[in-house]
Amino acid sequence: MSTDMVTLTIDGITLSVPKGTSVIEAAKQAGIVVPHYCYHPSLPAPAVCRMCLVEIEKLPKLVPSCVTPVAEGQVVHVHSPAAKKAREGVLEFLLINHPLDCPICDQAGECELQDFVFQEGRAGTRYGDEAKRWNPVEDFGPDILYVTNRCILCTRCVRFMDHVADDPVLNVSERGDRAYIGIDPGHRVDHPWAGNIVDLCPVGSLVSKDFLHKARAWDLDKNASICTGCTQGCNIMIDTRDENVVRLRPRPNLEVNRHFICDVGRADYRWMNRGDRVEAPLIGEGDRLHAQDWDVAVERTVAALAAAAGDAVVLIGGRASSETIGWTLQALEGRTVTAAMKVPMGEEAPLAGVPNLALRRERAANLHGALLLGADAPWEAALTVASRAAVVVVLDADLDDAEVEALRGAGIVLHLTTVADPRLPALRAVLPITSVAEEQGVFVNRDGRAQRYLPAKTPPGMARPGWWVASRLWAAGAPDRVAPDTATEALQRLPAFSGLSHRDLGFVGRIVAPVGEAAR
Amino acid sequence: MAIGVKVMSRPDSGVSYVRATLKGMVLTFKHLLQPRVTMQYPEVRSTDDWRIATRWRGTHRMLTDAQGRSKCVACGLCPQICPANCIKLVPGEDEAGNRYPLIYEIDEFRCVFCGYCQEVCPEEAIHVGVHYENAEYSRERFVYDLERLSAQTHPVSTLWDPSDPKGE
Repeated sequence: MSTDMVTLTIDGITLSVPKGTSVIEAAKQAGIVVPHYCYHPSLPAPAVCRMCLVEIEKLPKLVPSCVTPVAEGQVVHVHSPAAKKAREGVLEFLLINHPLDCPICDQAGECELQDFVFQEGRAGTRYGDEAKRWNPVEDFGPDILYVTNRCILCTRCVRFMDHVADDPVLNVSERGDRAYIGIDPGHRVDHPWAGNIVDLCPVGSLVSKDFLHKARAWDLDKNASICTGCTQGCNIMIDTRDENVVRLRPRPNLEVNRHFICDVGRADYRWMNRGDRVEAPLIGEGDRLHAQDWDVAVERTVAALAAAAGDAVVLIGGRASSETIGWTLQALEGRTVTAAMKVPMGEEAPLAGVPNLALRRERAANLHGALLLGADAPWEAALTVASRAAVVVVLDADLDDAEVEALRGAGIVLHLTTVADPRLPALRAVLPITSVAEEQGVFVNRDGRAQRYLPAKTPPGMARPGWWVASRLWAAGAPDRVAPDTATEALQRLPAFSGLSHRDLGFVGRIVAPVGEAAR
Repeated sequence: MAIGVKVMSRPDSGVSYVRATLKGMVLTFKHLLQPRVTMQYPEVRSTDDWRIATRWRGTHRMLTDAQGRSKCVACGLCPQICPANCIKLVPGEDEAGNRYPLIYEIDEFRCVFCGYCQEVCPEEAIHVGVHYENAEYSRERFVYDLERLSAQTHPVSTLWDPSDPKGE
């Protein structure tokens, strides 16, 4: 055993953890959650809530486990009578002024106060009909409401704004039982990462205006995904209710985004609920498009491709998965292919307290996946080539009027898309593909980290994943070709990913390209 | 295959019907003199001897506050607990910014009248009612919306009280 490891016993479980670990983190590794409010792994621990008190043998008093480092031979009792009594007392104090408005509180169902009171709190109150403290609801910022009455003063939001966002506008105002979270006069909580204080709040005190009253926690289906906002590749959860995406939340990944996502990414879900999706393959006959089934659509599209000999251009939207890009390029093999991804640019918004975390300027999730797969032409150059190319494949890219105009000279245009675009000229096929929320796939972020995302809702109509459509086109081109059946097979057969499967990526992802190599 | 026929040996003559008729009439006249137990429904709906139980669980009623507004805060517990999945609820806000149901519908055809919705309601808003006359001209009319639920006037169920299991 290395000297950097410390062996201790927690509730009868003996384990070794690195020196300097707090008792609460060690307990987590032993599978024991010590109830806590002020402690959060991505924030400094002030030990103000007194909820994580545990008994440690040979120490005279109970100690807060969030700031107590482990020591050799320590014997910790999380569930000893003394520790439980202390925590029960803390909970009773918290509930003196906490309103009983769980039925109208957005946090109900995912509230840590509910959880821990249910777990260790008193069954009844000793306060009878005494009036509770009452304060009005405050408007903190563009998307944040502060419900003062529900606040338990854990100060996670204050510490996030002070130490992580480096925009110290929140404070604890007043003293004792009159204390509340105050905001500096003349300021608003409008930092581009401020939305995280809603997730950090263990109770329903800080609530999102966008999500307010929309759904109950137990109504939601939760699925792991990757944010499509920029090249950072933050891990998120997509919460859906009845096939409708109602909110995005950060998913912890200590390597990429820790516990945070920015407000731009958080608000970027409405396109997932679009109702005007293409639901069936549309094949051009004469000057009209006709709905067909997939067999006919693939056959006609391949025939149209075969008739159009010459160079090809692939115009890719920023949310195309690596599988889709790879197989679209594969379907055009034998031609000179110019492929480019459309990358909208925006302002960079870093999160000061976390290194290498920012809302990036390049607002395209899979830019580095595209570069890795060879779709590395500059966008303007690709458009220029497209104006005289034989085949142009528009892969779910939003084109503006000038870009559509640039395609006028193209031979045939194939549109693999979620939403139809009637402006496109020379359309031979509109093939409906699934969006990020409806398929399994892999994005590569700016550090060369491949991360997978999972489907959160069912695709509309006959829409299929982009790689499925592209690989069918490829397979129909010659008799001895077999298209992949699953997304993971589609990924494994791409040379750039050298046999990597979705399972290999796990939920934290894996670096597939050396840092910097994938950068433009 | 032939069908087996059982031949009953009934006497076809020599037995008088008078005796049997008299026997029947005796029974009839005996009942004529006994106290009446039939209720003249629908003219009479309850008597001193018989009335519907106060814990009867019938079609729903939404209680309202002093201003006549529904007491529901759209917390979502009744659609969650409902075993028949007959409650549709879309939460939203009213003019004052309070949580309020935008849509609240109960499909009384789907309802199994278990009364869980009343038991779970933290606001004492939704109740099953002491009510059993539900004829309508169309099936759609059995989907009660919030307005209709609030307009019901029948008494609400007391449900089963564990401390008084027999309702005494």
